[in-house]
Amino acid sequence: MRYKLLTVDDSKTVRIIVKKAFKLYDCEILEAANGVEGLAIASKETPDVILLDVTMPVMDGIEMLTKLKSDAALKSIPVVMLTAEGGKDNVLKIAKIGVRDYIVKPFKEDLLVQKIGRIIDLKPISDAVTKAKSVFDPATLLVVEDKPAILAQIQEGLKHTPWVIQGVTTTGEAIDACGRAPVDLVMISLSLPDDAAFTLFRVLRANLKTKYTPIFGLVVKTDALAQQQAQQVGFTALATKPLDLSELEAKIARAMNLDTSERYFRTEPDVLVMKLPENCGATVVNEVASHLKAKIAEAVDSGLNKAVFDLHEVKRLDMNLIKFLLSAMQTCREVALQFSLVGSGAIVAECKAYEDTRSWHFHETLEEARASFQKPAAAVA
Amino acid sequence: MPAIQDIPETVFQDTVTKAVQEVFSTMMGRPAVPVASIRGTPPDSVELEHPHVVGTVGFIGVINGLIYLYLSVPFAQECAGHLLGMSPEELAEAGDEVVNDAIGEITNMTVGTFKNQLSDRGFPCRLTIPSILRGSRFSIEPISSATRRIYRFDIGGHTLTADLLMQTGE
Repeated sequence: MRYKLLTVDDSKTVRIIVKKAFKLYDCEILEAANGVEGLAIASKETPDVILLDVTMPVMDGIEMLTKLKSDAALKSIPVVMLTAEGGKDNVLKIAKIGVRDYIVKPFKEDLLVQKIGRIIDLKPISDAVTKAKSVFDPATLLVVEDKPAILAQIQEGLKHTPWVIQGVTTTGEAIDACGRAPVDLVMISLSLPDDAAFTLFRVLRANLKTKYTPIFGLVVKTDALAQQQAQQVGFTALATKPLDLSELEAKIARAMNLDTSERYFRTEPDVLVMKLPENCGATVVNEVASHLKAKIAEAVDSGLNKAVFDLHEVKRLDMNLIKFLLSAMQTCREVALQFSLVGSGAIVAECKAYEDTRSWHFHETLEEARASFQKPAAAVA
Repeated sequence: MPAIQDIPETVFQDTVTKAVQEVFSTMMGRPAVPVASIRGTPPDSVELEHPHVVGTVGFIGVINGLIYLYLSVPFAQECAGHLLGMSPEELAEAGDEVVNDAIGEITNMTVGTFKNQLSDRGFPCRLTIPSILRGSRFSIEPISSATRRIYRFDIGGHTLTADLLMQTGE
């Protein structure tokens, strides 16, 4: 639902500042230059909130407010005064008529957004250019951790990504960092002293800029109490120490709603290639599996009838990965997509150990796999 | 209720200074530094050497008065651009009306902050609607019953002049 905000001010400048302040939020700004216009628009559009000046020609803000409050259809619309009239007597007089809040000019745009955000559930525009969309887009991750070794571990483990990992050690620094520039994801150590992680979580959720930012808790695997508490207050996800960096990366991508399919799938002129990474833990397998059907459908739709499963970087085969590969093969068969496998000697050896995989035939290179489609022999023995 | 002449000069000086500083710091992110002459005898007239944009807003109540804010044209354009988030090119395309409106609003906020302090000190007043003067060959003269105080500020290398005219009201 798109909220409507009506700004009633004779100053075009103030109306422009209001529009500027809310341009990153999904709300429509309606404008009126005096009380008469304001009442007319309020009746027609029924805005969700009204920002009202006091001193205006034709009809001033106090008269408009009085008329609004005496109109059964309009009286429930929350009104926030935005005015240079800030003397105590004036504020008291206007408060008696009934306003939700009072902002005295001069004002900061942040304060305006914050106060309106308490009345309507402002949401950032989803396609804002600052948001990363693909796993290959840059993003800023803030790590709030007082142990330098953990920060260094995260920075090292994610250095192959285009993400900038900023480290801070206190909640104050974290709040400042979030205020300075947009942050795409925050990771907070749950072992910060004095429950600071939970205080920071609440502060970030109360701030419109970070209200919808994914927040991870960094917690020791055995600290069940902290994990439970974090889940209860609404942390987006938990990353348990010792950290599994591949798993963390996948969780981050999921929390930021990034398209990770390009990491595993690519379409070449004659073939769909699914390339699995060195570490194929459960998280990675689930992630690849979530894209599989759509990617195969896309390939078939574009006229392809061949696929290569490239496992040459994979170091170990486990039951989870085997189940996934069996399911991928079945999906290919259902749409008559020929497939072949690429894998290292180690993987070939491991396959011999399992009943289900003993018959799998691997090629050493992608070129070999591609060439195998010309031959009458099946890709899988 | 004391008459204007019984109110110490420092009250007006502090009130105007606070108002200018608060508005320029909040809306423009710039400090306004009172220039040295404010500590000596205030000048009794404003002399314009270049084209200026002058915003004025009045206050009516126990004390009646007007405050004029004098900004050179380039300073006025800079303020408007910052306030509205517009580039110099966009501002030039939008024309003088947009700059006038922005300076009118800055004046309104400054006089509002000044007036609110007076109200809280027991001199309740109301604001009038802003208006704008433009040019370089004009002077504003008070009538004999009005008192006048002129204060100057340095804001990022530009001079802002605040001209305060008052007389006892209701």
